[in-house]
Amino acid sequence: MIGRDGITGLVALAASLVLFWLTLGLEKNPLVPIGPGFYPQIVLGFTALLGLALVAQDLLGRRKAPAVPEAPKAAPGGKLNYTLVALTFAVFGAYVLLLPLAGYRVATFLFVLGCSFLLEPPRRAGLWVRGGVLAAITTVVTYYVFEQYLAVLLPRGTWTGF
Amino acid sequence: MYELLWSGIVDVFQLKYMLPLVIGTVVGVVGGALPGVTITMTIIIVLPFTFGLDPLQGLAAMTGVYVGGSAGGLVTATLLGIPGTPSSVATTFDGFPMAKKGDAGRALWLGVWGSFFGGMIGGVFLIAATGPLANFAIAFGPWEFFSLFVLALSMVAGLVGRSLLKGFLSGAIGLIVTVLGNDPMMGQPRLTFGIGFLEGGVPFLPVLIGVFAFAQIMSDVEKMGGARTLAGSIDRATKLTVSHLKVIWEVLSKPFLLLWASFIGVVIGVLPAVGGSAANMMAYDQAKKFSRHPERFGTGTSEGIVASESANNANVGGSLVTIMAFGIPGDAVTAVMLGALTIHGIQSGPLFISQNPQIAYGIFAAYLLAHPIMALVIAIGARFMLRVVTVPKAALFPVVLVLCVIGAYALSNTMSSVYILLIFGLLGYAMVKLKLPLAPLILGVILGDQIETNLIRAIMTDSDLWQFVVRPISGVLLAMSVGSVILALWQHRRHRQRVGDDDSPDF
Repeated sequence: MIGRDGITGLVALAASLVLFWLTLGLEKNPLVPIGPGFYPQIVLGFTALLGLALVAQDLLGRRKAPAVPEAPKAAPGGKLNYTLVALTFAVFGAYVLLLPLAGYRVATFLFVLGCSFLLEPPRRAGLWVRGGVLAAITTVVTYYVFEQYLAVLLPRGTWTGF
Repeated sequence: MYELLWSGIVDVFQLKYMLPLVIGTVVGVVGGALPGVTITMTIIIVLPFTFGLDPLQGLAAMTGVYVGGSAGGLVTATLLGIPGTPSSVATTFDGFPMAKKGDAGRALWLGVWGSFFGGMIGGVFLIAATGPLANFAIAFGPWEFFSLFVLALSMVAGLVGRSLLKGFLSGAIGLIVTVLGNDPMMGQPRLTFGIGFLEGGVPFLPVLIGVFAFAQIMSDVEKMGGARTLAGSIDRATKLTVSHLKVIWEVLSKPFLLLWASFIGVVIGVLPAVGGSAANMMAYDQAKKFSRHPERFGTGTSEGIVASESANNANVGGSLVTIMAFGIPGDAVTAVMLGALTIHGIQSGPLFISQNPQIAYGIFAAYLLAHPIMALVIAIGARFMLRVVTVPKAALFPVVLVLCVIGAYALSNTMSSVYILLIFGLLGYAMVKLKLPLAPLILGVILGDQIETNLIRAIMTDSDLWQFVVRPISGVLLAMSVGSVILALWQHRRHRQRVGDDDSPDF
C-alpha cells in the first residue's frame, strides 16, 4: 500500500514527465543554439527523479516498518476542521471571482462579512454587529487609504460600474 | 563608509522616512506579539502600503516590521508563556517561569534589552560585512553566480524541514514555476498552455503571499473551535516597571554570552532561509552548554532569555547581509523586501550598494534606529499588546486576506496576480499537509530565472561544462553544495534516529 509521500512522489513524477514531453515540442532558435527547452528539461528531469526517489523511499520505508495503520493526528483542542478550511477557500474563491464583476467595495464588504460569519457563526446580536462593522470599516478604510493616498487603483466592477 | 552611514541616519531622521519606520516598528511589534501571526505574515500585510511610497520609505517601514516583529514575540512569550513568533520560542523557557515568580517586568526587559544589544551587534556585522562581500561578488561571472544560487538552494533544501528529498522536491517545484512563460534569453513562449498572462511568467510576490499567508491562516482555521482563548491568561495587575540600568547591566555583565549568542544569530541569518526560529533555539542550547549553572535553565534564568532574544535580533542583521550583498533572500521576510525593491525597479545583488548608496545606507540607518524605537514601543505599549492578542481570529483573518489580495492586485493592476495568489494559496496549504517545506519553493521561484540565465550565459561563453568545476570560486561553491547535502543527510539520519517523525508543519 502506498502512503502520502508515495502519492506526492507519483504526482510529481507524472506532472514533470508530462511537462517534459511538452518541452520536446519547443523549437530551437538559430541565435541561441541551446534552445528554450534545455533548462526546463534539466529541472523537470531532476523533479522526475526526485518524485521517483520519494515513491521508492515510501515503499521501502513501509516494507521495513511494521504495518501500523496511520492514525489521523488532531490538534490538541480536538479534530482538525477541514470542512471549515474548504469553505474558507470557497468563500475566498468566490471573492476573487466577484471582484471584477461587483468591484472592490461591494465584493470586499461581502467577503469580510461572509468570512467572519463563517469563521465564527453569529449566534448572538453582538457578533452580527461586529461582522457588519468590521466589513464596513475594512472596506472604507482600505479603499480610501489605497485609492486616495497610495495611488493604487482597486478593481472596478463590470456589473456595478464602480 | 561612515560618512554615508551618517548621511543615511540624517536622511532617515526626516519625518517622511521616520514616520514609516515608526509605524512599521509598531506594526512589527504588535504582529510579533500576536500568537499565530508570524513576521512573514505581518510584512505581507504591510507590503501593499509601501507601493505608493518611495523605495527608502517602503524599505524603512519593512525594516521596522522585521526588527519590531523579531522582538515583539517576547512580550507574549514572557508574560503569557505563548511565543508570539517561532523566533521567541526559547524565550518562553525562562521568560515565563521568571514572570510567574513575580519578576514579569525583569523578564520582559531582559528580553527587550537582549534584543536591542543583539540587534546592534548584528547591525555592526551588517554594516561592516555587506560592502566587502558585495565587492567580492562583483568579480563573479555566470559560472560563479550559477554555483552560488545552486549552493543557496541546496542549503535551504537540506536545512529546512525533516526530509532532504522533500526539501529538494519543494525547491524543484519553485524552479518549475519559473520555466512557465517566455524563456529569458529570446522571449520564446514555453509551457504557457495558451493562458495569456503566463507569457510574462509567474511573478514571485503573489506566489510568496499566497503560499505563506494561506499556509499560516488555513493551518489556524483548521484548528478553530478548539483553540483556547488568551483573554483568561492575562493578569492585568502584573507590574512591568523595572530599573532599566539594572537590567541593562544584567545583560551587559555577560559579554561572552551576548556576543556568542549574537554571533550564532548572525551566522544563521546569513544562511538562506534558516531564520530566527533556529537561531533562538541554537543560542539557548549553547548558552546552557556554556553556563556554570545549566540546571537553572528552564526555571527562570536571565541567561536563557538574553541568549534567545539577542540571537533572534542579530539574525535580522545576518539576513539583510545576504540580500544586500548577493541578492539572495535570507528568509521569507527578506524575500518580500526583495520584491519591494523589484517593484521600484531596483536590482538587488552585488551592485546594489554601489548603484544605490542612499537606499543601502538608509536601510542600515533604519535598522539601527528601529531598535531604540522597538524598545520605546514596548515600554509604552506592552500592556496594550496583551489586549491586542485577544483579537478574535475570525475578525483578523478576513482583513489579512483582503490585504493579501490588494498586495497581489497592486503589483500589476490586473486580476491575474490575484488568480496566481489563489492558486498558490491552495498549493501552499497542500504542501503543508504533505509536509513539503515552503522555504525551498520560494527560493526556487526567486532564483529560478537567474539560475537559468547564468547557466545559459556560461554555456554560451564556453561550452566546456568543466568550467563550473575548475574555476576556483565556482568549484568551491559547488563543493560546498555537495558538502551541505552530505551534512543534511547526516543530520536527518541522526534526527530520525533520535526523535523519529514529528508532525509540526514546515513554514
